[in-house]
Amino acid sequence: MIVTIQKPLDELLNFISPYKKVMVVGCDGCTQPPRGIREAKVLAQLLELGGKLRNKEFELKAHTLVKQCDSHLTAAALKEMLNGNAEAVLSLACGLGPQTIARLYPALPVFPAQNTVFLGAEEREEGNIEERCAACGDCILGLTGGICPISRCAKSLLNGPCGGSQNGKCEIGQDRDCAWALIIERLGRLGKLQNLEVIQPPKNYGVVKRPAKISP
Amino acid sequence: MAPEESSTWVEEIEQVIDEASGKVYLPPCQVACPIGENIKRTNALLALLPLDPEKARQQIIKIGDEIYEKNPLFTICGYICGLCERDCNFKDFTGAIRRRMLKRFISDYYVPHLDTEPTLPAPKGEKVAVVGGGPGGLMCAYMLSQKGYRVTILERNPELGGALRYIPSYRLPTKVIDGTLNNLVRIAHIKVEFGVKMGDGGKTLDGLMKEGYKAIFVATGTPNPRPLTFEMKPVAGGDLEGVIFGLNLLYDANQRNVSPHLFDGKRVIVVGGGNVAFDVARTARRLGGDVSLVCLECEDKSCRDGIPADVEEIEGATDEGIKIIYSRGVNEIIGKDGKFAKIRCPRCTCVFDEKGFNPKFDKSDDTYLEGDVLLVTIGQGMERAFFQQEGLLNEQGRIDVDPTTLMSNLKKGVFIGGDVRRIGFAAEAMREGSEAAESIDRYIRGGNLKSGRVKEYKKATTPKSDHYKPQPELAWLPVEERLNFELFEKGFTLEEAVAEARRCLCCGPCRSCKACISLGLRPSVAKINVDENLCIRCGNCVYLCPYEAPTLVSPGLVKIDLDKCHGCGICAAMCPAFALDIENWERERISALISQLAAEMASPKVLVFRCQWTALPPLDGDFTKNARVIDLPCAAKVETYHILEALQQGVDGVLVAACPEEDCKRGRGSRQAKHSVTALQEKLKQMGYGDRIHFCTVKPRHPEIFNQELAQFIERISTILVKGK
Repeated sequence: MIVTIQKPLDELLNFISPYKKVMVVGCDGCTQPPRGIREAKVLAQLLELGGKLRNKEFELKAHTLVKQCDSHLTAAALKEMLNGNAEAVLSLACGLGPQTIARLYPALPVFPAQNTVFLGAEEREEGNIEERCAACGDCILGLTGGICPISRCAKSLLNGPCGGSQNGKCEIGQDRDCAWALIIERLGRLGKLQNLEVIQPPKNYGVVKRPAKISP
Repeated sequence: MAPEESSTWVEEIEQVIDEASGKVYLPPCQVACPIGENIKRTNALLALLPLDPEKARQQIIKIGDEIYEKNPLFTICGYICGLCERDCNFKDFTGAIRRRMLKRFISDYYVPHLDTEPTLPAPKGEKVAVVGGGPGGLMCAYMLSQKGYRVTILERNPELGGALRYIPSYRLPTKVIDGTLNNLVRIAHIKVEFGVKMGDGGKTLDGLMKEGYKAIFVATGTPNPRPLTFEMKPVAGGDLEGVIFGLNLLYDANQRNVSPHLFDGKRVIVVGGGNVAFDVARTARRLGGDVSLVCLECEDKSCRDGIPADVEEIEGATDEGIKIIYSRGVNEIIGKDGKFAKIRCPRCTCVFDEKGFNPKFDKSDDTYLEGDVLLVTIGQGMERAFFQQEGLLNEQGRIDVDPTTLMSNLKKGVFIGGDVRRIGFAAEAMREGSEAAESIDRYIRGGNLKSGRVKEYKKATTPKSDHYKPQPELAWLPVEERLNFELFEKGFTLEEAVAEARRCLCCGPCRSCKACISLGLRPSVAKINVDENLCIRCGNCVYLCPYEAPTLVSPGLVKIDLDKCHGCGICAAMCPAFALDIENWERERISALISQLAAEMASPKVLVFRCQWTALPPLDGDFTKNARVIDLPCAAKVETYHILEALQQGVDGVLVAACPEEDCKRGRGSRQAKHSVTALQEKLKQMGYGDRIHFCTVKPRHPEIFNQELAQFIERISTILVKGK
């Protein structure tokens, strides 16, 4: 899922302060933590309270969309919601949401409420969301026992570990596992330690031509 | 909806059938209890006792009334039975909930109360005889009397109680037995004939039938002590002076028929490794003896040949200076001048084999133990002659009954149960009494004796918790103060009982408990409504629920198993799509309440969201001008949405009061509430409202702590408002 964190509320107040009628739009898609109707309403409530102390009266409306990155779905739903009663939109989606809306409504100001940070998986028992995929375009999980060194090793090493690996932890912080220590442990369990005897050539980051695009 | 406002009490609790397996779904303690007491419910009721001691006393009596309906001997069980604790889910974490002590706590209020209980209307139905006034017989008599039968108990001794009268009074006080049993027969109109001899020229079962009894329950127990044997042969020397059956000593000691200095200066040897042998050893110690106990079994309780007595007995005996000699048998009792002098003890190499009890010895390794008194306590048996005369034994010499109905296969209308059928715990004999009563009722009314009686059970698992509180230690008098026949275990105080009852995680379904409903905490059993049009399948509810009630499997929407749900509302409070709502605390209902309360208050207006399990009374009068409380089933049910709504509606400050994390009834509710409120506070700070909300934990049942928090918060909000002007 795409992981986002909310921007400081002052920044959001600044975004919307030139307007009165603002629509806060959540996204029920893959964003994590979920940014659905509850978060949209709560954000509208917070901004309204904040505006009040700053002598600014907003008319905030909260809605949510199935997935803001889908221009077709978003166009259909948003048309009904906007219906001429919003001067600006605040999007709780990842970076894709505001862009979709901007493209659909060239004259409507749209602002991101979230900073998009990484592709992550959730370790729910601990409540952490951790980066697990770098969208590199050439997946090597098949060789590394299902553990991604590109996103989980601080140096994105292909032939780890490095000398900074100590007791299974990474030298950049004791709270971070060494991805290569995990890989070795896992390959051991799978009886596939021989995978490590092959030296991996430097990764071709040019596999994906940026800006990337796939066609049907 | 605080606990003390409750007016209603008994709810019809339901039997919950697990849909997948068709089994009765219950907490493991209730499955383990031979009587099937509603343990979880009484624990919850105790956990929420009113603060006022007199009101608490009345509530405890009401709880006792409820238990009494199922188990009129519970006041005794509270001293001697802990079968439910063996299966408690908490056992694997920090030790079982001390249910026996909780029941004893109720017992100590209830036994004196029994004297004031009115006698029930006299039954007018057919006559039934119960032979034997022990736990099994009494239970049967009570249940039959409840069903309208005229019951007569025929008891050989001059008092009721049977095997209960062998339990030393330092464990089970005589006044508890007397108070319970005398009131039981009085309340239920049970006729008792004492000193009745059965067989050998006494009464016969046919004779009883001729007297007009339509059915007979025989629960004569195992009053005959078993003599010492070695390799299937009796050990000679049992007739020497100083060789006594332990069981007889226990009876005499309880009757105060022996001098308290009976064994002063004497070396006493007890043979046997069961709980009764330990009762005998500890009784002998209290009578002045220097006591050793010899048993076949080894010290390691975890192995097949381990000593059968309870750990508590072994510890208690050891503390009292009793020496335990493990893995030794007795193959010779040696006397001198007609008096007991010593026993010869070969080493026991193996107690049980595939066939069962079949001890093996190494005779080359033997030792002699010298003493003045030998107390033999290696088991006991039934009065075989009577059962033979009555033709109740099969060819193998065993009592021949149907195991479900307990009716004799050899004599119609005669039912047999309790220790005489299979030696066990008092509660097990009581269950047989209760089962026999059911059979007798069906038999007399001409119904099918068996249909629908055998039930299978599914045991509930433990709810997740962040804090498993430690089991409280049992409080025993120190050895130097307890070597007498006064009760040596201290009962729970009111505070201790509530604390221990709160520790119970209330495993199992709400429908078979309903304590919260009885106390007025909620109007109906917890129900989560899922709006499938709104669910976005994020799975938040699945991981937040401490009870594993929600499931989400692709393709599909979230499903909530309401027999697992405890109605805390964490899922509803955290659902990002507003798809979940908890009945009676619906989002819109709380919004409406907020508007109403906001309009009622005078500035500074303070709204409190409070967990019901803090068990706090309604707001003190001093606070009602400026504050209002919304009681929630768990602090984690507080929604940031509602807090903000309150501020928007003109409330000046919002206080969230939760139980401390280690005291959270929902396992992780308090932590979740703190997390939500702190995160919101951070955001409100950016908007300039950081001081308007406050999360606090308040000690349950301590209104002074809550009041202090509230007073400080109102003060703080006041100051902010003044500054703002």
